[in-house]
Amino acid sequence: MRYFKPFIFSIIMLCLLSSVASAARIEISAPGEQTIPLAATHLLPMGAGYPGLAEEFQQALQGDLELAGLFDLVDPDAFLSDADKLGLRRNEIDFYQWRMLGADALIKGGYKVDGGKLTIELRLFDVITQRLLTGRRYVGKLTDVRNIAHKFADQILKSLTGEKGPFATKIAYISKRTGRKELYLMDVDGHNSMQMTSHRSIVLNPDFSPTRKEFIFTSYRNGNPDLFRKEIYTGRESRLSLKPGLNIGGRYSPDGREIALTLSKDKNSEIYLLGTDGTIHRRLTNHYGIDVDPSWSPKGNEIAFVSDRRGNPNIFIVDIFTLDVTRLTHAGKYNATPAWSPKGDRIAYSRLEEGNFNIFTINPDGSDDRQITFGKGSKEHPRWSPDGRFLIYSYDLHKKKSIWIMRADGTGRKKISAPGSNDSHPAWSGSW
Amino acid sequence: MKSSRKQRWQQLQSVFEPGFKQMLLASILIHLLVPILYYSPLFPQREIVKPPVYRVNLVNKIVKNPQAGRPEATVVKKKTKVKPKAKPKPKPKVKPKAKPIPAKPKAVKPKPKAVPVKPKPKPKPKPVVSQVQDKVRESALDKMRAKVAAQAHKDKIAALKAAALAESLIESPIVDAPVGMADGKGDEAGVSAIASVQEFIQQQWVFSEYQAAGKPEAEVKMAYNREGTLLHYKFIKKSGNSVFDESLTRAIVKSKHLPQALPEAMEFEIVFNLKDMLDK
Amino acid sequence: MKKTTITVMVMLFAMSLLVSGCAKTPAKDEGLTEETTKVELKQQQPAVVVEKDVKDDAAALARAAELAAANGLVRIQFDFDQYVLTDVAKAVLVVNGELLTAAPAVKILIEGHCDERGSDEYNLALGEKRALAAKSYLVSLGVGADRMSVISYGEEMPIDPASTKAAWAQNRRANFKVKR
Repeated sequence: MRYFKPFIFSIIMLCLLSSVASAARIEISAPGEQTIPLAATHLLPMGAGYPGLAEEFQQALQGDLELAGLFDLVDPDAFLSDADKLGLRRNEIDFYQWRMLGADALIKGGYKVDGGKLTIELRLFDVITQRLLTGRRYVGKLTDVRNIAHKFADQILKSLTGEKGPFATKIAYISKRTGRKELYLMDVDGHNSMQMTSHRSIVLNPDFSPTRKEFIFTSYRNGNPDLFRKEIYTGRESRLSLKPGLNIGGRYSPDGREIALTLSKDKNSEIYLLGTDGTIHRRLTNHYGIDVDPSWSPKGNEIAFVSDRRGNPNIFIVDIFTLDVTRLTHAGKYNATPAWSPKGDRIAYSRLEEGNFNIFTINPDGSDDRQITFGKGSKEHPRWSPDGRFLIYSYDLHKKKSIWIMRADGTGRKKISAPGSNDSHPAWSGSW
Repeated sequence: MKSSRKQRWQQLQSVFEPGFKQMLLASILIHLLVPILYYSPLFPQREIVKPPVYRVNLVNKIVKNPQAGRPEATVVKKKTKVKPKAKPKPKPKVKPKAKPIPAKPKAVKPKPKAVPVKPKPKPKPKPVVSQVQDKVRESALDKMRAKVAAQAHKDKIAALKAAALAESLIESPIVDAPVGMADGKGDEAGVSAIASVQEFIQQQWVFSEYQAAGKPEAEVKMAYNREGTLLHYKFIKKSGNSVFDESLTRAIVKSKHLPQALPEAMEFEIVFNLKDMLDK
Repeated sequence: MKKTTITVMVMLFAMSLLVSGCAKTPAKDEGLTEETTKVELKQQQPAVVVEKDVKDDAAALARAAELAAANGLVRIQFDFDQYVLTDVAKAVLVVNGELLTAAPAVKILIEGHCDERGSDEYNLALGEKRALAAKSYLVSLGVGADRMSVISYGEEMPIDPASTKAAWAQNRRANFKVKR
């Protein structure tokens, strides 16, 4: 026992000495690479193959991954033998091959079609530490292929950024493809578009309920711009607000309990709060100027809106409890369509300059005003993805209206509406 | 020393129970079983992951006391005591960006069957004065020249691309400066181990701006032996952002083997943050 | 009898206005004022007075007045991002007001419209402001407020969908429609 003490003592001393032995200090203040090299292998059949399925899946997944901006996809032509092996377990994968290709992350997957039932197994691996990052099994119908790809893309973002992606959500929008403006619904990548109204009138400006599968919109079906509510799955539709004059720009509060909108029942457009039963809870603005386009802060205590109370249309913010109004935008002569980011850190809006709108983002305190779209044509109606990563907007170039998506910094712009579809006014659902 | 050890052993023995020897034997046997089992077919073997080839900018030798100079400089002819690196062909002023970039050498190499051109490696092969009047031959020559010119053009583009790539990674490529460190005080041509290791580990670190949230910072201690092999590492301070910390773990695993030996076994305390990325 | 002549007068004048209105939209810098409109009205009187041969049927009279209103109400134009009535617009409204006073049974819908520039929501509010500005001016001219309702279509229903200055000027308007 008495030999133990000096023994331990000497060990401690050694440790101390070695650590003191001048460890050189280095600061690395930026990564050497800013995109994650990712190898996304083709889905392999677990049993009999199904023609076109793997390609459809790959196309959907790849679109999401490219939009995410996080990845540098490894060229599939360079893939080695492991890409054709179905092994989904960690110890069945030849990580060395993937490391040679410079991949840091690897997606592998297999599918099985059994009657009308589709099963897809997916894995995301860390090639470097040879770890399983996320593994999922999806069971659905054959038509769910794209949806499964989007859901897995959401999971990939979750495991590599800590926050789920928004790819398996929905976009509501207005399209004039029938000659009349009607409400439609589609996937975030523009697929599976579906007509939701047949009012044969003018349908405007949709918004999703954050808590239920329903949306609100304005329609002239009954001769006046009234606010409608529609349940998405049942198709049940009702008029929520039919005050004389405008009932426009309805926006659900973040908790889904109230709706901010513009009413002009007193001969002037003002912002009001409605209950979900359509009764007026509160009037938020009181000014002879035009007040429109409310957008909630994610905390639900403030609303950004457009007003011409100082001459030109500009963005203002009203506190819904104190009714104090502060001006947000000062630059430009025509600022409209504000959209408060779900994280609360930025407000996107569009500014009219030289006959065209472009999208800007600004801090809610008015600092750091930045233009994020440029060039020909009008870009309007920005709306955020539920995670705040992306913006969706209307683009009008020579009367051709389409819906585009981009990252919140303005990069990665991509058209998502079908060619010649005449689409505008997108709204992004919450998690679906 | 030996006797004292024996004494100690006896003492220890006396302390332990009578069955200790048997237990010890059993223990050794069981321990022996582990490697036997490990190499048995029960446990499928995995290949040892060898470090892949890395691209590094600091090609210069790591020395203990670097002199004043530029770490990215090419070795200058005068410094004969330094082992000459694969130098590009002379005429550095024609191609000031002629740095030891892998893609480069091709640019200088003329096509084997090229028409006699002036020895200048630059494109634009001016026709050599050959007094051949035959029109057919002339046109054939023209064709070949065009081919050479096209190839030279291609190579030039490739070289420019490589140079542009290199330039994006290196702040100021300099050829004539002595090899050394900006703050070097020693007398050896080469770069400091710290700069080299910093550069290398940074290259292994992959992190996207779209992964960033807040201002994460973590500190890692890494110990390398003389051969440049990572002995052990430890997070002194984690950032609290698991995505960020995991990206560092990957960078560390990729930095298991340094591309060059170190002058001595060394320990580094490395602070990782995104100061230079978020400021962009 | 007197009533009839006035009605016919108004009707004919309205027709003439309609024709001239269709021929050219009033340009802004023409500087037309209320005064000149009145002068025109006087100048046209003699031609109208000649006509006498009209039935004294009250119902027919009312129908004629309604027809006059239905066909004679002229739309008004606005400046960009404005709902203030221009002098030209006021002059037109005076005539519209007279047509409406002559046909007290007629109820109208005033539609406010905007050009395609500007944001949709804002334009819906702006269109309504335009319609309301027209309505309140007509009320000040003695037209009963209960006879007029307003609606805004914002930029949804342009007359001319082109993206030219002329088209935009046409589209920034308030229309008057007789309700049936």
